[in-house]
Amino acid sequence: MEWYEAGALLLGLALVPLALGVPVFISFLFANAIGVLIFMGGANGLIQLVSNGTVSISSFLLVPVPLFILMGEIFFHAGLAVRVFDALDAVFGGIRGRLSYLCVTSGTVFATLTGTSMASTAMMGSMLVPEMNRRGYKSKMSIGPILGSGGLAMIIPPSALAVLLGSLAQIDIGALLLAGIVPGLVLALLYIGLIYLQVRLDPNAAPIYETEHHPLGRKLMLLATNVLPMGFVIFAVIGMIIAGIATPSESAAFGVIGVVILAIVFRRLNWEVLKKSLTGTVKVTVMVFMIIVGSSTFSQLLAFSGASSGLVSWATDLAVDPVAMLLLMFLVLLFLGMFLDQVSQMLLTLPVFMPLAVTLGYDPIWFGVVMLLAMEISLTTPPFGLLLFVMLGVAPKGTTLSEVALASVPYILCSLILLALLILVPGIAVGLPDLIR
Amino acid sequence: MLPALSRTYNRLIAALAVAAGVAIAVVCIAIAIDVVMASSGLRPPIWVGAVTEYTLLYLTLLAAPWLVRQKGHVTISGLRNLMAPTARRILEKAVYLLAIAVSLLLAWFGAVLTWESLVIGDLDIRSFEFPRWLVYLPMPIGLTLVAVEFARLLVRGESLHDDPPAEGL
Repeated sequence: MEWYEAGALLLGLALVPLALGVPVFISFLFANAIGVLIFMGGANGLIQLVSNGTVSISSFLLVPVPLFILMGEIFFHAGLAVRVFDALDAVFGGIRGRLSYLCVTSGTVFATLTGTSMASTAMMGSMLVPEMNRRGYKSKMSIGPILGSGGLAMIIPPSALAVLLGSLAQIDIGALLLAGIVPGLVLALLYIGLIYLQVRLDPNAAPIYETEHHPLGRKLMLLATNVLPMGFVIFAVIGMIIAGIATPSESAAFGVIGVVILAIVFRRLNWEVLKKSLTGTVKVTVMVFMIIVGSSTFSQLLAFSGASSGLVSWATDLAVDPVAMLLLMFLVLLFLGMFLDQVSQMLLTLPVFMPLAVTLGYDPIWFGVVMLLAMEISLTTPPFGLLLFVMLGVAPKGTTLSEVALASVPYILCSLILLALLILVPGIAVGLPDLIR
Repeated sequence: MLPALSRTYNRLIAALAVAAGVAIAVVCIAIAIDVVMASSGLRPPIWVGAVTEYTLLYLTLLAAPWLVRQKGHVTISGLRNLMAPTARRILEKAVYLLAIAVSLLLAWFGAVLTWESLVIGDLDIRSFEFPRWLVYLPMPIGLTLVAVEFARLLVRGESLHDDPPAEGL
């Protein structure tokens, strides 16, 4: 079988059941079961498939996934997020577009404290959208910034997705987490610039209104009591990795303990909070890990059948410009992102994209950040971007999917500007990890 | 007899999910203690890393059936949205049958692997020696229960899409 036939067969075996609504982990198990029968010799292949599944998730590298999720769950369920939000709300004066700016700032702070985008987006959506509507904000000023800022949690550490990407691509997870810091902050700044531009061009999109005035002393006090303590958790996670005291798995454990301590200090920790947080964590963890179990043999099959090496050498023989090839890979990710969840996207593309990127001379850590950026965008592209649906769930009745999708377009453009910046100045991503290595 | 059996079974599925939640909390505390001990010059227990790894494996496979019941495994609605209601129902039944077949097939090979490993008596060597059949055991158990849960959805005529979409990252 030629490499392209093998590749098409394997992809088809996974994609057809997926499209028919078969759960993702079962689709991958199905594709692998047929794949091993063809390429790895019958029953022995099936035994190998089961064995690979057990190896794939019994790995210490994956520990931060449940722990980063747990951090975020406790942060939101214990009401710590609301405290941050209220403090920031008081700090912003009566400037035009204040709620949009508030959204980006709180979204950035949430991103440094939680490992997932969903909770962050749902929280900002339910808190901000009703208020924005009451104040007469247009949807580009309300829904747009929420979608954009929600995605920051995937890039800015702690990020559960970055951990998965690092472990699946076998690159340094600590370095990848650090590499997300500066690009994440740059993206947040681009969002702020965008909001500034939008209110300049269309002042009616975000009408100005009277706000309660807080004296400076009070503002500082609010920041010191409600936002500053969160820095302790940020240090527990990012600081410990930078200082080389702990591995990402270990720092994740301290991150959870940090959030628990804060919840105790603010007298917000109770049985109900713990129960809800752990239930949420088990749900997301088992969902993600079952997909990994299901697909653990997939990359081996792609390699074994010659499909991945065939595609890589074909693509390198084309001798197109590395940047053009990078953009092509980015487009493929965006396209897949329209239909697939991020874990499946990574599992389908990493076996080919990572070796290809390295052959083209790109730093694997840098390429990891580019992939995270593509997946961040794909959360907000129709028809199946998860954040679009989270947003629809919390937005007022009568909001349509196209309205939500349209509002996210300028924010997607910001992500594309960041991509261009990353290509021109790779140091934005790899500077920080290089400094420490 | 049957209702009692079904109640016990339901409790088992729920208990496995609770155990998974507790396991995550315990892993977190154990790792933190490990680091604190190491950095304060004490010798931390050598088993923390390996036990954590086995815990991830067990909690995932044993809570997977509960997640089927919660309709929490990701599916892509894709083509389904374009279909007529009758076609959807037929498709959904086919999806369950495929899920049951795939889970049972791999549960069977998992059981074979577990048994062979038990007979040979080989060991999984990480920071300590652990019987390898115990590493494989959650596979046949978890996948069999997953198959039972899909069969339950099939019999009850429930749709995976009735509830809100699954949580993601």
